[in-house]
Amino acid sequence: MSKISIPIGPQHPLLKEPLSMKIDISGEKVLGGSLRLGYVHRGIERLAQKRNYVQTIHLVERVCGICSHIHTTTFCQAVESLLKLEVPPRAQYLRALMCELERIHSHLLWLGILAKHVGLDTIFMHTWHDRELALDVMEEITGGRVLHGANQIGGVRFDLDESHFPMIHANLEKLRSQILGLLDILENEPALIARTKGVAPVSQKTIRQYGVVGPVARASGVDVDMRRDNPLPPYDQLKFSVVTMPDGDAWARTIVRAEEIRESLNLCEMILEDLPDGEVSKRAPRNVPEGEVIIRSEAPRGELFYYLRSDGTDQPARLKIRTPTLAALCLLPVQMSDIQVADIPVVLAGVDLCVACADR
Amino acid sequence: MDKVNFEVLREQIDSLVGSKCEVYDAIGNDDALIIPSERLMDVVALIDQIFDGAHLTTITAQQRAGQLDLIELMYHFYQKFAFTIIVRLQAEAPSIASILSILPGADFYEREVAEMFGVKFTGRTETPPLLLPDDWDQGPPFIRKEVIDE
Repeated sequence: MSKISIPIGPQHPLLKEPLSMKIDISGEKVLGGSLRLGYVHRGIERLAQKRNYVQTIHLVERVCGICSHIHTTTFCQAVESLLKLEVPPRAQYLRALMCELERIHSHLLWLGILAKHVGLDTIFMHTWHDRELALDVMEEITGGRVLHGANQIGGVRFDLDESHFPMIHANLEKLRSQILGLLDILENEPALIARTKGVAPVSQKTIRQYGVVGPVARASGVDVDMRRDNPLPPYDQLKFSVVTMPDGDAWARTIVRAEEIRESLNLCEMILEDLPDGEVSKRAPRNVPEGEVIIRSEAPRGELFYYLRSDGTDQPARLKIRTPTLAALCLLPVQMSDIQVADIPVVLAGVDLCVACADR
Repeated sequence: MDKVNFEVLREQIDSLVGSKCEVYDAIGNDDALIIPSERLMDVVALIDQIFDGAHLTTITAQQRAGQLDLIELMYHFYQKFAFTIIVRLQAEAPSIASILSILPGADFYEREVAEMFGVKFTGRTETPPLLLPDDWDQGPPFIRKEVIDE
C-alpha cells in the first residue's frame, strides 16, 4: 500500500495549542511522523536578559498557563539560592500547597482531554468540573486562577487565615471523593481500557535515551521524582509515594496520573496540617551577587530545569529553562510509529502536550 | 552504578581523556567538569556506558561578559546525582560533534543551540530550526550576547 503524508496543525481541532505534525501512514498503519515547534515561541530566555529579577518572575510565570506557579517557584528558588536568602518555612509550605493544587488541576485537565479524545465525553465533563474545585482554592487564596502572582523573591505574596481553611478542606474532601469514583471508572471502563491498554508502549531504555521525565517516565517503570530525589523544601519533610507502573503504555500513563492526584491530595492535607506559623516573606535586595545555580523541581509534567547566572547586577546574565514537555515531545515521533491511525489522538494526549512550555 | 559519584566519574573521565580535567565548582547544586571539546563524544559514550543509559537534562549555551570570543556549552546530566560537562568553543566558527548517535534525545537541544547560538553540530545530517521560523533571516543567532547587547 502506498505511503500518504498527512499534515496536522499548526491549527487543528484536535490540538489545543499550535503544533505542526506530519504523519506518514499506509492504510490504517502509522509509519512515522515528525514535528515542528515554535508557533508560540516568545523568546523568554532572551527577554529575561533585558529584565530585572522582579520583572522576570512575571515573565517566567507566562511560560505556561497550566503550571505557571512551579515556574515562578523554581525561578525564585534559583534567585534566593544566589542571594543565600532563607525563605520562611511558612512560605515554603504555601508554595508547596500551590504546587500540589497545580498538579491536581493539571492532571485532571489532561485526563479530560484523554477522555475527550477517546470519545468518553462524560468523563471529560466530570474531570473538568472537578478541576474547578482546585482552581477555586487557588483563586480564593491568591486571587488568580491561571496566573497567580503568588511568588516573590524571598517568599510568597499571600497568606492563609482561619477563614480560608473550611473552604479548602471542603474542596479537597469533595475532590477526594470524586477522584475515588474516577479511579473506579478508569480501572473498569471497557472502552477506555480497549483504547489505551497496550497502545504505544515505551521501554525504560527508550525513556532514558530520550531523557523523558515525569509521569510518562514513571509509567514506564522509571522511578524518578524530583520532589523525592532532589527535594526543595519543604518536600524533604513531607511523606508521599512515587507512583510507577511497569507497562509503559497509554493505560499506565493514565493510571499513574490518576494515582498522583490522590498523592497530591494527601500532600495538600499534610501541608495544611503542618503549616508553620510565622512570616511569609523576607525582604530581598534588587541586585543579585555574581554566581550561577541550577534548580530542578517537579512540575506536573516532570522535571523542570532552571539554570541561572548572575553577573552581580539586577538582571539575569543567562536564564536557561528546560521544560519537561520538550523531552516528551522529542519522543513523540518514536511513539508515532507502528500504531493504528485511530491511536494517534491517544498517543498525542498521552504525552500531556504543552506547546507553550516547549516553545517558551 | 549506585556507587558511582562525581569523584568516581571524574577519575574515569580523566583516565579516558588522558589528563586531569578542570573541575568547575561555581555552579550551585551541580558538580561540573570542563573537558576538551574534541573528546565530548567519548565522554558521553563513557557516561552512557557507566550508567547503562545517560539521562541528559538539556544543553545550555552561553557567552560570558569579557569572553565573547568563546561559546560555552553545558551538558547537564542527572543520574541520581546531578553533574554538568562543559566544553568551550571559539565563537567565530563554533563547531562540535553531535551526540545524537548515543543520545537521540539530544536532538531538540542541539537544534536549539544551533539556531540560537550558531553552533554547528557535525555528524548529523541537518539541524533544522526548532523554535525560530524556517525563513528566519534577521542577522546573527538569536541569543548571542553581542545581539542582545545591541
